[in-house]
Amino acid sequence: MTAPRTAAWGALAAALLLAGCASVSPDGLRSQVQTLADGRSAGVAAPALPSADPAARARADAAIVQWLAGPLAADDAVRIALLRNPGLQARLAALGVADAQRVQALTLPNPTLTLGRFRSGHEREIERTLGLGLIDLVTLPWRTRWQGQQMEQATLDAAQDVVRLAFDTRRAWLRAVAAEQVAATQERMHEAADAGAELARRMARVGNWSRLQQAREQALWADSAAQLARARLDAATEREQLSRLMGLWGPAAHYTLPDRLPNLPVEPEASEGIEARALRERLDVRAARLELDRVADTEGFAGVAPWAGGIGLAYTRNTTTEQDTGHADVKRGWEVELAVPLFDWGGAARSQARGRTLQSAAQLQDVALRARSEARTAWLGYRTAYDLARQQRDAVVPLRRFISEETTLRYNGMLASVWQMLAEARASSQAVANALQAQRDFWLAEADLQRALAGTSGGASSAVASTALPGAAAGRAANPESQGH
Amino acid sequence: MKRRHFFSGAATAVAAASVGRAALAALPEIPQHGSADTAVPPAPPTGRPFRPVVTLNGWSLPWRMNAGVKEFHLVAEPVVREFAPGFVAHLWGYNGQSPGPTIEVVEGDRVRIFVTNRLPEHTSVHWHGQRLPNGMDGVSGLNQPAIPAGKTFVYEFTARRPGTFMYHPHADEMTQMAMGLMGLWITHPRLDARGRHPLIATADRDYAFLLNAFAVEAGTRTPRVNEMTDFNIWAWNSRVFPGISPLVARRGERVRVRVGNLTMTNHPIHIHGHEFEVTGTDGGAVPPGARWPEVTTDIAVGQMRQIEFVADEPGDWAVHCHKSHHTMGAMGHDVPTMIGVDHRGLVAKIQKIVPDYMVMGERGMADMGAMEMPLPENTLPMMTGTGPYGPLEMGGMFSVLKVREHLAAGDWRDPGDYVQPPGTQAWEWQGAAADLPPAPAAPAASTAPQAGAATVRKPGPGGTGHAH
Ligand SMILES: [Cu+2]
Repeated sequence: MTAPRTAAWGALAAALLLAGCASVSPDGLRSQVQTLADGRSAGVAAPALPSADPAARARADAAIVQWLAGPLAADDAVRIALLRNPGLQARLAALGVADAQRVQALTLPNPTLTLGRFRSGHEREIERTLGLGLIDLVTLPWRTRWQGQQMEQATLDAAQDVVRLAFDTRRAWLRAVAAEQVAATQERMHEAADAGAELARRMARVGNWSRLQQAREQALWADSAAQLARARLDAATEREQLSRLMGLWGPAAHYTLPDRLPNLPVEPEASEGIEARALRERLDVRAARLELDRVADTEGFAGVAPWAGGIGLAYTRNTTTEQDTGHADVKRGWEVELAVPLFDWGGAARSQARGRTLQSAAQLQDVALRARSEARTAWLGYRTAYDLARQQRDAVVPLRRFISEETTLRYNGMLASVWQMLAEARASSQAVANALQAQRDFWLAEADLQRALAGTSGGASSAVASTALPGAAAGRAANPESQGH
Repeated sequence: MKRRHFFSGAATAVAAASVGRAALAALPEIPQHGSADTAVPPAPPTGRPFRPVVTLNGWSLPWRMNAGVKEFHLVAEPVVREFAPGFVAHLWGYNGQSPGPTIEVVEGDRVRIFVTNRLPEHTSVHWHGQRLPNGMDGVSGLNQPAIPAGKTFVYEFTARRPGTFMYHPHADEMTQMAMGLMGLWITHPRLDARGRHPLIATADRDYAFLLNAFAVEAGTRTPRVNEMTDFNIWAWNSRVFPGISPLVARRGERVRVRVGNLTMTNHPIHIHGHEFEVTGTDGGAVPPGARWPEVTTDIAVGQMRQIEFVADEPGDWAVHCHKSHHTMGAMGHDVPTMIGVDHRGLVAKIQKIVPDYMVMGERGMADMGAMEMPLPENTLPMMTGTGPYGPLEMGGMFSVLKVREHLAAGDWRDPGDYVQPPGTQAWEWQGAAADLPPAPAAPAASTAPQAGAATVRKPGPGGTGHAH
């Protein structure tokens, strides 16, 4: 009498305990995401993510105001984006929702209480049955584990989006800074053309030049004006893109950018061990590995599930009262419900699970292959961009400057005209603009390399192909939900 | 000017590898000259006596007498020539210099010239203007096979006619002359018992130079040998102003100047302060009755002129080619005229782009003469040189005839700037403008229709009405 009752209460207690373990993460798994993203956030150490805590939010707002006060550093741009990008906020909120859903899924179904009142000729029967479907309870430890793994995976996915956003912001910052500098160079080139055209106009006015000669300088001026307009548009567009990634608008978007890009490193990074590092550190590889573990884990269970699915346990207390005597007879007992494995021995489920395991293994292989390949490609792009930037800076720009200086010497000797001198000055400025772009491309390639080695796959963006649309890579991060998980 | 020391630092030139030491053992030594300064030759140590010429920024080739024959040894070879301080070019020349040394002989001398070729290609020597056997005329292919690189040929003839001559290659002639391969030859007249010649006077100062032109681009040091017309270095004896020695004379001396033209254009040579006569041409002495006074004589391509005058006006007198661009240094022929172009508001703008920019040419080119601005390496300013009263704004074919009262007969040194007697120089008017004699303007062109005349309107587009 006492023993079964104790057992029943014990089972219930255990179930409640297990169910209680699966509680909702208070910060919606943000700290886990943050831990995963640390060291992978485009060179920024431990950037903060948007917090639900009002005090933390106020602190972040104050910090953002401070970062935006001076020329905006690349690291601060990344920090702001991670705090303010609305897409990321939506992404993290979705992660919290998924966590709550997980906890929901682990909550045991409430036991069923069946009450019956039956009357026969002489008897009145009251039936009380407390039933509990055991399957959920029995499988709870497994399911807890799998759900945990799934959440870990969802967290990894979210962290990858954080990493992408961090790198995309860094790239946008590089582009915006370079575009402003290029526009400044175009400004100088246009001033040269402007001076040339004005001098040509005065030459024609006093009769030293024909209108034909003047027209040639005028045409140069028109060309350079168009180039300048395009450069200014470029600078505005790139800056807009950066602001968008940082989630800034209105007066907050009136920040200033530094007037130069970081210098090239003295030595480029070597290619040793890049593939191993990518396999070790990349989040997408880790996610694929986790997925394989989870799927393999479920495989053993798959064969049992079809017939274990029907396990039920019920405690029944029936009271039969004789109407005549008023004598009550109490019947107590346990009822166990089992599925008979007559038709479904779980073979199909097992094949399905095996197939899933094979699929996951192949997917892991695919992700690893891509990680290795992307590491190599990114390094090659990085190294080539470095060489190109060095060559532009150390060879082309000095050459152009030398040509310009020598032309000035020839102007001094009345061996060259002021227009030839201005043309060389323009060419020299163009070389500087090209060098700026090469420097930018190097840092873009560097960001791609870091992301490919420690972060995740970045999609189709490539730094050396600088003609790619600036917003193409960033669109994803702004809308992370589009990634299936 | 430096007195030259004929045999001191000169005679020990080592034969090039291509010319065997043994092969040269029997030849006259190869005198070399190491500087572009004028070297005044000594009186001839052997042979018939004569008064040597002074080759501007040049020298005369020593000889040895061998059984009554004057033996010279010319070596054609690459040389480095200083055109003026700050401008050096890689040329071809003879015995260390371009032009080569002047060869001086006397009418009737038997002359044997050994020509050693140390150029990378074959050559030959044509004795321009001489009477000589056909096989000695030096046109390769026509009169002789060319002298291959590394070989020595011998020319031998009698100097039959007195006068001024030149020598230059007649093999790959344009290249070799564009590279500066040329020299002067003087055949002094045989004099009578009284030391006279019926047509050729004895000169107290006898100067000689060749006109030569080069295309050396700014910042380079080798002439462009394929240039036909657009030369930029106009030189006398491969020197340009202010690198050309002055012509010095004592007042009252008879001065002879011999000029040969080996450029591709003519040069009107002009002497200030004196009239001169052309006393000799390529063809020899001009009979006195055929001479007339001049202050400029044009020397056509391939010609020689021998002019003479008495230097009786003390002072520093310009001597120059009268083509004004030949008295300029290297200049950009395509540089547009900037005269009258208002640069206001543009200078700062251009300096933002080219910090070293300075306005030039707005008022004319004279700025060039005074400004000292950095130029491409190995390049002389277009106008340069400074005299006692400021910049000369000259270059190229320009020198100074310096006539002084008291100079020793053998003194060829630059006597310095001429000190003008007080009151003999142009001065600035300090008086009132009203005291000046009137300076009437030229009568205006009578384009305005006179009263009563019919007004004619011409038809056609644009018409005659000037809108501005
Ligand atoms: Cu001339």
